Amino acid sequence: MESLLQHLERFSELLAVSRTTHVSTWDPTTVRRALQWARYLRHVHRRFGRHVRIRTALERRLRSQWRQKGASGSAAVPGLNFQALGRCDLLLSLRLLENRALGDAACHYLLQQLFPGPGVPDADEETLQGSLARLARRRSAVHMLLFNGYGENSVLEESVLKTQAELLLERLGEVPKAEAEGRSRFLSTLWDRLPQKNFLKVIAAALLLPPSSPRPQGEELELDTPKTPGEGGQELVHWLLARSDVMAAFCHDLPVGLLASVAGRHPEFSRAYLGLLTDWGRHLHYDLQKGTWVGAEPQHVSWEELYGRFQSLCQAPPPLKDEVLTALESCKAQDGDFQVPGLSIWTDLFLALGSGS
Amino acid sequence: MAQDLVGFSSDYQFWMQKLSLWDQASTLETQQDTCLHLPRFQEFLRQLYEVLKEMDSNTIIERFPTIGQLLAKTCWNPFILAFDESQKILMWCLCCLINKEPQNSEESKLNSWTRGLLSHILSGFRFDTKEVGLFTQGLGYVPADYCPGLLKNMVLSLVSELRENHLNGFNTQRRMVPEKIRFLSRVCIPLVTLPDIEPLVEALLTCHGHEPQEVLWPEFFDAVNEAFLLKKISLPTSAVVCLWLRHLPSLEKATLHLFEKLISSERNFLRRIECFLKDSLLPEAACHPAIFRIVDEMFRYALLETDGAPEVLVAVQGFTRCFVEALEKKNKQLKFTFKTYFPYASPSLVTVLLQRPEDIPQELWHQPLKHISEMLREIVEDQTHGSYGGPFECWFLFIHFGGWADIAAEQLVMSEAEPSEALLWLLAFSCSPHDGSPQRAQTMVEVKAVLSRLKKLLRSPILSAKDLQAAAAESQDRDPRPPLCQQLIRRLLLNFLLWAPGGHVNAREVIALMAPSDEIAHDMTGFLDQTLYRWDHLRMEAPRSRKLARELLAELRMVGTAMQGPGSPRPRDVMRRPFLRGMSAENEP
Repeated sequence: MESLLQHLERFSELLAVSRTTHVSTWDPTTVRRALQWARYLRHVHRRFGRHVRIRTALERRLRSQWRQKGASGSAAVPGLNFQALGRCDLLLSLRLLENRALGDAACHYLLQQLFPGPGVPDADEETLQGSLARLARRRSAVHMLLFNGYGENSVLEESVLKTQAELLLERLGEVPKAEAEGRSRFLSTLWDRLPQKNFLKVIAAALLLPPSSPRPQGEELELDTPKTPGEGGQELVHWLLARSDVMAAFCHDLPVGLLASVAGRHPEFSRAYLGLLTDWGRHLHYDLQKGTWVGAEPQHVSWEELYGRFQSLCQAPPPLKDEVLTALESCKAQDGDFQVPGLSIWTDLFLALGSGS
Repeated sequence: MAQDLVGFSSDYQFWMQKLSLWDQASTLETQQDTCLHLPRFQEFLRQLYEVLKEMDSNTIIERFPTIGQLLAKTCWNPFILAFDESQKILMWCLCCLINKEPQNSEESKLNSWTRGLLSHILSGFRFDTKEVGLFTQGLGYVPADYCPGLLKNMVLSLVSELRENHLNGFNTQRRMVPEKIRFLSRVCIPLVTLPDIEPLVEALLTCHGHEPQEVLWPEFFDAVNEAFLLKKISLPTSAVVCLWLRHLPSLEKATLHLFEKLISSERNFLRRIECFLKDSLLPEAACHPAIFRIVDEMFRYALLETDGAPEVLVAVQGFTRCFVEALEKKNKQLKFTFKTYFPYASPSLVTVLLQRPEDIPQELWHQPLKHISEMLREIVEDQTHGSYGGPFECWFLFIHFGGWADIAAEQLVMSEAEPSEALLWLLAFSCSPHDGSPQRAQTMVEVKAVLSRLKKLLRSPILSAKDLQAAAAESQDRDPRPPLCQQLIRRLLLNFLLWAPGGHVNAREVIALMAPSDEIAHDMTGFLDQTLYRWDHLRMEAPRSRKLARELLAELRMVGTAMQGPGSPRPRDVMRRPFLRGMSAENEP
């Protein structure tokens, strides 16, 4: 076991090095050894994928190897996980191919290994040649579907978001639960490091992923189990609600309909969202001259926007719709339960929604 | 060899021009043209590789100075990269250009350039925006990690859009415009054999839009059909049926493909024929009357073209059997009357023919047989040719259910009573439909005579091959028997052998006497194989008969291999039925 773990460590280092200019010192023998190690680890993945204990040990060791980035205190950049071992030879090969620093002799040897030609029986899909060809084929497929695309591509953009969401949940699931606050720290780091607009959209997509079937209990694991989005989704919501700045950005930037869908799926979120909306509402006062509700400061949300948000929430199916109306009613009651417009924003909203719905 | 190179050079020029024309295949015309040429271009790439792998990098540049352009243009055409194995062969070609030890800057540059292209094929097409790229990198992923997942999500998304389109019709907001559906069908052409794309192919086939005319690209249907026939794609039956209903040439190709398999395969294994038939999905698809009619038409044509070759007859029978089986399974869903499948036939005749002998007790088999015989006779002998077609149409319908003729022969041989006229007529008709009344009557008389001689043999305890031969002998004072009549008599003899209670028969002796030629041996083998098969279906026990049948078969097969000397062709024309010649002139409505 220990030798296996050492192997794993050495290979991770190798993989890291394969991107650097250090490979200029590699000769064909080095390349051969690297490919052999990769092949061995792939074999390990296949063999031990279903053994919980070995797999867990390997996963732990892999995680401990994720490179520390920058100053102390910042979390590690995720690297190889156990699933990636299943294609580690592919990953290594791609890195070496893209690395211009690799010498000509080493490169020539590498290409001979990667593309031996027609003699090799390709019926066995597991050959490296086959995997590379399949990757190239899939990439052109994605390209053709995305870019030769016909007109608007919103449907396909959704797929890109969905894929990112799946990746996010996968990484999230890898942070061990035992680590206190580990997962929220991880998310916070991502928020600080990654483009935020996109991140918000990905969070929404992750919260809307269809719930997958529960993982089978017991010793037997599937080789490439997708992590259950169910529990990942919960973690995300908790983190989102704990970070008021993120929550505010989330609710401000994302389309109103999308937020309504998220609220429909996650009751905790809908409560927080409603809370936020009532907060926003309280900032508005009635301007007698203009005859409408306005905010005291420019960053306050406008009447139209507030109304739009409530309207979209009311278009959702129950129980969300009922929840929203109940909340509005109670706000209206607290404010004095006026029936006439212009006195309480909640009354006005209620009236406007009532006539609309 | 020089000739090859000349041909190759002109091919090279041709493809060079094409690639320049196609550029990155971003317009409808270039996409269409590329798709049309994909298989041929792949073939060219293979040939190119064979040429390049023999040379070193410098020789290649000398010999093909524009090879860089050719390969680069190929790399930039996603349709080519997406097709089958083209991307792999292209990478092989590029590897040939790599120099292990570049001697000068030129060679270094070439190496660098080639590596760039290889890199492009594997990592080139960027499908993420800057933000997405940062996101995935920030999570520690590379495109190779998430490309399969992304493709899967894209396919799922498109499939659900197509299905919504299919279900909701005019009012849905997410309705896919026909141009986009057509575009998708074009994009799928090179990708048809990629398993990830299969749900999209299925959705395109089964989700009909709301346009009156066909929306999908015809080459799409061709590509899917081709992949299906070569078993490179696995589609549910419903999708294949949609394919054939929407694109007639695909159905025709599939039927021809089946014919080739049935007729060129080891001819006498009915079980294998049944496997091929079921595999092809055609019998099941034929539950749609439109498909049945077309396939049936092709069978009819094949029969006419081959003058009633026994292989085709067996194929028709097998097909009909599988078809009826499929029909019965679907009985709850599809409700077409039999008339839709056999519009030119008498409905009562079809109903009787469709009866399954296994559903009727054996002692009552003579009833439907008599019924069939009478109805056929009535139609055939009706001079005005009525509305049910002439003799050929009747015969064609009848041989779909050829099992009845075999049962008739058995009945004649097994029964103690006088051979019934109806059965005699049926047999004579089935083996020789074009005969006029006099010839048929003559045949019936001959058969009757043979049968009565055979009945006498029943009393003797031991049967010898010579006895059989004597029973079957032609009488000297009449005209020699036509070959078809001879074949019929031979089969009756075999039947008799299998069913006669008396004594043992020496299989070797029998075969030696009865099967003097290769062709006759072949005919007898087919007959015995069919008989055993039929007994299985009818669940007839008859252990002694089966044993004998198997012995005869074994003997025939040994003789068959002995007779086939090296290089001796099989004389198939001898047994061709002459009766169908001239029948094609009969144009049935």
